[in-house]
Amino acid sequence: MKLFTKYNRINILASILIFLGGCIAFYFVMDHVLVKQLDESLETEQAEMAQYAKQHGNLPEIVNTNDQQVYVKEISQPIATAVYASSKTFNKNEQKKELMRQLVFGLSVSSKHYQITVNKSQEETEDLLKLIVLIAAVMVAFILLAGYIINRMVLKRLWQPFYSSMHTMANYQLQQPLHLPATTIEEFNLLNSTMNSMVARVEQDYQVLKEFTGNAAHEMQTPLAVISTNTESLMQDEAVLLHHHATISTIEEAAKRLSRLNQSLLLLTKIENRRFELDENVQWDVLVKQRLSELGRLATSQSLHITVHTVPVTTVFHQQLADILISNLLGNAIRYNMEGGSLNIELNEKELVIANTSPIPALDSTKIFNRFYRHPETKAEGNGLGLSIVHQLCNRAGYTLNYHYTGKEHVFTIRF
Amino acid sequence: MKLLIIEDEPSLNKSIVDYLTDRQYLCESASTYADAIEKVECYQYDCIVLDIMLPDGNGLKLLQQIKANNKTEGIIIISARNELDDKVAGIELGADDYLTKPFHLPELAVRISAIIRRKNLQGSNLLLFEEIQMDVPGKAVTVNNKALLLTRKEYDLLLYFIINKNRVLSKNAIAEHLWGDDMDMVDNHDFLYTHVKNLRKKLLQAGAKDYIQSIYGIGYKFSIA
Repeated sequence: MKLFTKYNRINILASILIFLGGCIAFYFVMDHVLVKQLDESLETEQAEMAQYAKQHGNLPEIVNTNDQQVYVKEISQPIATAVYASSKTFNKNEQKKELMRQLVFGLSVSSKHYQITVNKSQEETEDLLKLIVLIAAVMVAFILLAGYIINRMVLKRLWQPFYSSMHTMANYQLQQPLHLPATTIEEFNLLNSTMNSMVARVEQDYQVLKEFTGNAAHEMQTPLAVISTNTESLMQDEAVLLHHHATISTIEEAAKRLSRLNQSLLLLTKIENRRFELDENVQWDVLVKQRLSELGRLATSQSLHITVHTVPVTTVFHQQLADILISNLLGNAIRYNMEGGSLNIELNEKELVIANTSPIPALDSTKIFNRFYRHPETKAEGNGLGLSIVHQLCNRAGYTLNYHYTGKEHVFTIRF
Repeated sequence: MKLLIIEDEPSLNKSIVDYLTDRQYLCESASTYADAIEKVECYQYDCIVLDIMLPDGNGLKLLQQIKANNKTEGIIIISARNELDDKVAGIELGADDYLTKPFHLPELAVRISAIIRRKNLQGSNLLLFEEIQMDVPGKAVTVNNKALLLTRKEYDLLLYFIINKNRVLSKNAIAEHLWGDDMDMVDNHDFLYTHVKNLRKKLLQAGAKDYIQSIYGIGYKFSIA
């Protein structure tokens, strides 16, 4: 839900409630005022009749109109109080029941007591009231509608800088300048300046990280080179070799593994930091065939049964990274295969499927792309980073990488 | 053949110098940018081994300087950073080869030998070892002046052996030379064994003596004794 929609909902709901409450209060106040006015006119009537009776010694002549009817009843006891009431009474003149305001009071003329009832129609008051409330309601509706439309039009324009900033941020990539334009709105300026300073900090951290990875590589690879070259020198001493060949070859092997591990980690870091631009056309079918012919020669020692079905597929990727991707997948499929096993490669416009047999049972598909994940039965020669690299590469290019086990073959699928 | 080794790590510098001296090269070493630039300007070398990360300067700048002086030395970069950018920049600036640390010394020897051969096209391009003769540009091998047919891998293996003759070579180093990064893919030691066996058989059949010695637990050595 958009902020504006949410705000509008609350706003309109509150407005409606307030206006509704206002209308009800308004209704009762108006009702009260108008009835009071009616009562005053009834009181005037009473006063006039009393005045007349006092002056002339008899009751005035009763003239009934549409609005006002007077009924006189002679009674034995005088009535001291005057009583006001509203009631639905039959109006003889209009021949229908209508709401009347009634005043009943006593009047004594020449020792005779009368109960006088004055009725005045309250209908007009009611009509007036209804009209006033209707006008109020329509006004409220218009105010709400106008408010909504104005909000919609104005807010859209007001939020424009926000959306343009968001658009700029979405397209932002590290090591590119970020331009968030200044606006006249304080909050957006705050947002933009915060973003700008945040990006500057990230850039700085990134720079530090980049230097760190480069330096770490240098600092580690050089000692490794020292180890491996000195091991080679040591090999030349026949006497040493005779007694320590196992030790020497273990050192050599370990230095090699450490160096590969270091290089793989650096590669992963570089992919994660988006250090590579994917802007080259990669012909996957050519690449797969080429890598397969190179690796396939190595694979012949296991007498693998290899089947390949490819159609020409070209996507935008990175030549060297594509090579790493294919090498890792094919390498795994060959390395972890078994004597007399099979390797099936299927490439079409939508996907690349690599399926291979292996003595290793199904792998844990939730962990398989984690760094350093290795199946317990796997020979220790891999560094556990190959599939992480493939996974990162696929992520980077927006491809999906899936693994499943058919009970006989391990199947890796890349959907372009 | 005169070489200059520019490497700031003293023990690595020493290993390289020792190994290459043993290969009959005349080696000088420099461990700083300043030292290197002085040597490059004063003397003439056949090949320069250049580490691009030096404590007091960038090796790529040094490379630019060398090329700006119209020097004709072959240059091989050794770098700890396996960065594509550096590799491309280095080759564009006129380096002949690029080797990532850590590397095997026999590999460095092969690369240097290839560069020197390319630089001295007018000179002899024949590699001789007793009755074996390798014509490197023509990729032809003769034993006692009779042509010997080898597969590409067998040829590469023989070249590697002859350039690094009289040295114990580990199976890892040989495999890495022959198959590069793909060497991890299969049990390469069996595979290497097959190639060595085939090469030995062909050499013996052609009338050469058996120069390939197996060194138990390590690898091979190509030598007379």
